[in-house]
Amino acid sequence: MSNNDRYLKDMWNKAENLLGSSEYERSTIERFISKRSNSTAERIKKMIYVDIVVKSVVLLVLIIDMFLYLGTINVIAVCVTSMVLLTVLILFEFRMLKRFSEIVDYGKSTKEKLASMLTYLRSDFFSTLLVISIGYPFMFIGGTLLYFYTTYGYVRPLDGQDIIVFSTFIIAGLIFNFYINKKQVDYQVKHLETCLSELNDSSLQMVSDNLERQRKQDITNKILLFIVLAFGFVLLLVVFKNIGFLVH
Amino acid sequence: MIQKPNKKAFSELIEQYQAIIHKVTMVYANGRADREDLFQEICLQLWKSYPNFREEAKFSTWMYRVALNTAISNVRKEKRSLLFEPLRDNDRITEEGNDEKDKVKLLYRAISKLNRIDKAIILLWLEEKNYEEIASIMGTSKNNVSVKLVRIKRKLEELVLETVSQES
Repeated sequence: MSNNDRYLKDMWNKAENLLGSSEYERSTIERFISKRSNSTAERIKKMIYVDIVVKSVVLLVLIIDMFLYLGTINVIAVCVTSMVLLTVLILFEFRMLKRFSEIVDYGKSTKEKLASMLTYLRSDFFSTLLVISIGYPFMFIGGTLLYFYTTYGYVRPLDGQDIIVFSTFIIAGLIFNFYINKKQVDYQVKHLETCLSELNDSSLQMVSDNLERQRKQDITNKILLFIVLAFGFVLLLVVFKNIGFLVH
Repeated sequence: MIQKPNKKAFSELIEQYQAIIHKVTMVYANGRADREDLFQEICLQLWKSYPNFREEAKFSTWMYRVALNTAISNVRKEKRSLLFEPLRDNDRITEEGNDEKDKVKLLYRAISKLNRIDKAIILLWLEEKNYEEIASIMGTSKNNVSVKLVRIKRKLEELVLETVSQES
């Protein structure tokens, strides 16, 4: 060991002595571990949990709608289609949560931890945001059906202007939600990239390889989800259009 | 995978090993409030990651891993640390001989100027971890650790000299 090394370690050990060995008592530490984390990972997890709760409430509202409009086949068809699609989305979110729990393990090596988080933020995070955003139209459908029943007792016919206004609000909501969440993680992505490139040159390559591997693994699931959603939305639009223009 | 203990037992365990967390917070956070925030976040992540702790690894090594990963990933207050406010008189350092205190402050001040990854590597080296352990914690090769350490120590020397000349 060189003199400089010894000098550095001496100074460090002195710091340890000057610091003292214990500052926080057990009760304080117990309080610390009972609090909520402020990490990005925890915020994303919370976002998914909250969305599952919101989607479950919408599911409940749709069930109520179904009973309120018993006898109106078109409305029941809308409710059932929406419920099936919402269930698919909720199941997808549970899968995301399971995968996410593996990502947020802080006991991994630094390279693995940073790379897995970066891989998630660059790929699955967008699917998560998409699944969360797709839920909004169902909130609108469930809420509108309930509102129409309590106010008019039937589904009020929607004219062209109504459809334009409602769809504008829905699309604006989707874009706003997507943009805000994306902005929030952009900084985190940049930070992770910097740390990985500081660790060594091949770390970012590892993320690219992970992304490629994951893309191949997920392609079947994504195609299936896309087919179910596309089919469901088309069906929903057709039946919803029927309610708006044909049911009086 | 091991069974999660109750919060009381786990807190006692952390209390015993809390010096490790203090060292990490001293290197990664400036000021008492930031240090306490980071200490709290590390405790939380230790608690959450504990079920994944495998007993073949040393508890202290696993603690370093979680603590450093938390500190490195923590970007919430990054803006403040990026601007780098010079380390204030450390409120945790007790009154001792001024010379000793100044040297320690100088070392911390120099380390706080390193990037997040270099901070972790030098901290582990100062904690007498061998190259293999450092490589395993950081997830890199022994060779990379040794190359990096040479560079970091040189940089640290420059930073110490720079800080001394700035202060004088």
